[in-house]
Amino acid sequence: MSTATPTRADRRAAARAASAADLPPRTLRPSPTAKGFGMVALVAAAVYFLAPVLWVLVAATKNNRDLTNSFGFWFAEWNLGANYDSLMGWTQGMFWRWVGNSIFYSLSAGVIGTLFAVMAGYAIAKFAFPGKKLAVGVIMAGLLLPVAILTVPLYVEFHAMGLTDTAWAVIIPSAVSPFGVFLGMVYAQASVPDELLEAARIDGAGEARIFFTIVLRLLAPAMVTIFLFIFVATWNNFLLPLMMLSSADLKPVTLGLFGMVSYFAPDKGAVMLGALLGVVPLIVLFFSLQRYWRSGLAAGAVKG
Amino acid sequence: MTATMTVTPQTTPSPSPGSTRRRNGRRRREGLTGWLFMLPFAVLFVFVFLIPIIVSVQSSMFAQVPAGDGLYGGGELEDRFVGFDNFVTAASSGAFWVGMGRVVLYAAFQIPVMIVGALALALLLDSFLVRRPGLFRMAYFLPYAIPGVIAAMIWLYLYTPEVSPFMPFLPEGTDLMAPGTMLLSMANMTTWTYTGYNMLIFLAALQAVPRELYEAARLDGATGWQIATRIKIPLVRNAALLAVLLSIIGTIQLFNEPVVMESANSWMGLDYTPMMLTYNSLMGTVSPSGTGIASAYSLLMAVIAGVLAIVYALVQRRKGDV
Amino acid sequence: MTSRKRFARSAIAVTVTAISAFGLAACSAGSGADESAAEGPVEIAYLHRLPDGEGMTPVSEIVERWNEEHPDIRVTATKFDGAASDMILKLETDVKAGSAPCLAQVGYSEVPQLYVKGLLEDVAGEAEQYAGDFSAGAYGMMKVGDAVVGLPQDTGPLVYFYNEAEFEKLGLDVPATLADVTADSAVAAAAGKYVTAFTPDEALNWLSAQSAAAGDTWFSTEGDAWSVDAEGEGSQAVSAFWQQLLDTKQTLATERWGEAFTKALNDGALIGHIGAAWEAGFLLDSLDGTPAEGQWRVAQLPDFGAGEMTGPDGGSGVAVTKGCEHPAEAMEFNAWFNTQIDDLASQGLVVAAAGTPETSEKMLRQFGGQDVLAELATASANLSPTFSYAPGFASLTKMNETAAEVVAGSAEVADIFATGQSSAVAALEDLGLPVAE
Repeated sequence: MSTATPTRADRRAAARAASAADLPPRTLRPSPTAKGFGMVALVAAAVYFLAPVLWVLVAATKNNRDLTNSFGFWFAEWNLGANYDSLMGWTQGMFWRWVGNSIFYSLSAGVIGTLFAVMAGYAIAKFAFPGKKLAVGVIMAGLLLPVAILTVPLYVEFHAMGLTDTAWAVIIPSAVSPFGVFLGMVYAQASVPDELLEAARIDGAGEARIFFTIVLRLLAPAMVTIFLFIFVATWNNFLLPLMMLSSADLKPVTLGLFGMVSYFAPDKGAVMLGALLGVVPLIVLFFSLQRYWRSGLAAGAVKG
Repeated sequence: MTATMTVTPQTTPSPSPGSTRRRNGRRRREGLTGWLFMLPFAVLFVFVFLIPIIVSVQSSMFAQVPAGDGLYGGGELEDRFVGFDNFVTAASSGAFWVGMGRVVLYAAFQIPVMIVGALALALLLDSFLVRRPGLFRMAYFLPYAIPGVIAAMIWLYLYTPEVSPFMPFLPEGTDLMAPGTMLLSMANMTTWTYTGYNMLIFLAALQAVPRELYEAARLDGATGWQIATRIKIPLVRNAALLAVLLSIIGTIQLFNEPVVMESANSWMGLDYTPMMLTYNSLMGTVSPSGTGIASAYSLLMAVIAGVLAIVYALVQRRKGDV
Repeated sequence: MTSRKRFARSAIAVTVTAISAFGLAACSAGSGADESAAEGPVEIAYLHRLPDGEGMTPVSEIVERWNEEHPDIRVTATKFDGAASDMILKLETDVKAGSAPCLAQVGYSEVPQLYVKGLLEDVAGEAEQYAGDFSAGAYGMMKVGDAVVGLPQDTGPLVYFYNEAEFEKLGLDVPATLADVTADSAVAAAAGKYVTAFTPDEALNWLSAQSAAAGDTWFSTEGDAWSVDAEGEGSQAVSAFWQQLLDTKQTLATERWGEAFTKALNDGALIGHIGAAWEAGFLLDSLDGTPAEGQWRVAQLPDFGAGEMTGPDGGSGVAVTKGCEHPAEAMEFNAWFNTQIDDLASQGLVVAAAGTPETSEKMLRQFGGQDVLAELATASANLSPTFSYAPGFASLTKMNETAAEVVAGSAEVADIFATGQSSAVAALEDLGLPVAE
């Protein structure tokens, strides 16, 4: 995307910024008491957020009986293998394919949606164009709508276009994020200085080049947020693929899991295992995006 | 996309401010560039939002009635134009307003708790308490990664005395899924899921602030608390406003949590929240049912969400101006 | 900075590759199917929500067998992963869009409603020749007035499950009448056990089935209008029976699909249960490997006052949807599929087709060697011949809310039927159908 090669100075600045995140300047270090209280609060919050996940982790190794009859935070009879077999049986061996579909839909919708949203947000923030007020109003109204209700008319429309039961039927609706535009707009207003754009124009840079080499870099933190938002929303959406897709080959993993749950007396350990395995790709993604948060931070530092 | 971009005309700065013709040209070019950047999103938006909304509005004006006579109405339904009858039915539906009351009550305590919690966590993580805030950030954000219905199921189990690992430690007879506690229990589910997400937004806003600002404040003798309240919180005001707005909109549409809770607590009924009522009208499991009335409910909800959001934004703006 | 760029580039590369791979695959699959439909064999799509679980004969395998034997009628089975109500919404949308599968699984209690909505095709002409292959009661469930919309698949007569070993220990006989159940309940309660459970989350289907077992007919016709009677003598008898058990706390009042039910089953507090026949497929799963394994049996529903009769709690059929281009071929497959009784039984169904499938290994083990399916077939044959559903029945879920209030102590069992009565009339009126006052 970017044509500019980073100079050594750039890299040094980034490295400095990165290490700054680890080691605060002496003046900003908190007092020992503040640090103590703060740590207690942070750890307590971590326990609150992680305990249910830990429970799922343990539940995934249990059979239905032990789920009700043994202590939730510790293992009982090891039933992980049987639960895995049951999960594969229920999904007829398609589980990993469905996980792959989920990754593909979420990634495509995330990348397309993020790019389109920041482009639109940047346009709203930095350009005067006819119909802008109306466009903003309509997009914000889209933010207010109970989206689930639109699924049925959406299906009819996509069917008319011959797109039902294709990957596009999930990706296209998921890639449209009014919230992403809103966020992109707010960030562009705050962190893309007009002077910088003017300077680039004076240097003779085209609008596309300015956007892809300068603006995208400045909007990185917003983009990561929008990407995550779209990615997770796509991953978690249930009603849309339920209506749009019918081939087993195209199903995302949530459909399969909900399919299991919607029957009588599901094998809960297997459902929990499925939920857990289905979340793993998201966790991997978040971990790998950590670094980009840091680079977003560096971008902020450069701007100051 | 790249193709679109390469045809973008270059906007050249106008060195002579006196020339109106050049200024007009520049404005036109700016407008064109703006629209070109808007275009990809705008096209998809029309397909995914506008057309279905128009279809919804249209369908809200129709009712599905039997086409023929007899016990089974001729085995066929036809759409009959009823004007605003569906809206009258929706707006005078007791179940709708009772559900709306529940949702507003729920929002009134859940949103403040979640936003304050998220802000507190973001401030703590941004104040160099820990050397590697990444792990905490992950831990807080993790619940957001769990699909809503699955998360609701997990909490349903955690609230069920027979399964729950922590219910045995609560006072005997505690019922977390009784009419008096249900809203609180669902509020906890939502808070668990979305606090980390809001924290990330705040953290992103905080980290965009140049650090030198804090250092300068410190050198001027400001305490950590003062930095947080006088500098950082005002800086995330916009992010907080956004988060509250989105939460209001999200809460009006409260659906996954009550649906899963209802599956084990039939007293809640299929109209516990307006969104449940809407969905079940569409499904034909409450009456009156049909797409017409369901569209009317959802448009009514959108209007209410819009009014609430605008009121909130106006109140905030006035406060901010002072 | 460099790392971010690398990320962006690789993400885009991955996306582009993936889009082309998947997108193309999806497109070619779609167009391929369309073409073959135009010239080759007749294409029939079949949407179901059978469990297809572990150890069951998958629907796709049964269908594959059909396709091998019948090259001229190609069937594609698709499993729907949502709830039954979601599937109806899907069908409704599909029919409107003209893309509905020819065959779809529908619950008996939903058939009249779907017919009114114009989603089902009248195939009385094609169905007639297959009627003899199915039990008359179940076949009747696929009839809407004079129209027949498909063929039945499975039935859900109420039966009585009980733990034989525990009954012997307490000196109890299998209850033959409601009075016996009341007497047994008192004896069991003295020992801290329950011979029944009162399940508010199943009130709608479960209590209406009991009312049917007691001889009531909720929906009948008066001239050209519906007549609703959910509070007849049978309902009153059922109310009195449960009210007494609830007042004396001699029944386990809990959600059927809540954990308290499973827990009571596991720790031996619950030793009897009035339930639908299809529960035999999984009711005892959590007892596998415990001392209680193999102690349970299934028996006919006790006499609710109308002799050897039981009521329908669930069950479904396969209907032909509106706009199906090849109803005759669809019905040919429908009849064949629903008479593959052993395969269907493996899915946990009490088949509606004539004949008794072989009781599976699993059931033999869980029910101490009892020929469960033969017992259930008897129950199926004893289904009330007069009880049928009316449009709007699925929206009587207000009954479940009232039932939950009964458990909480703020309403009486009779109120549940009163709710059923008023909601049924309201539902019919909302649908614009004639109701006799």
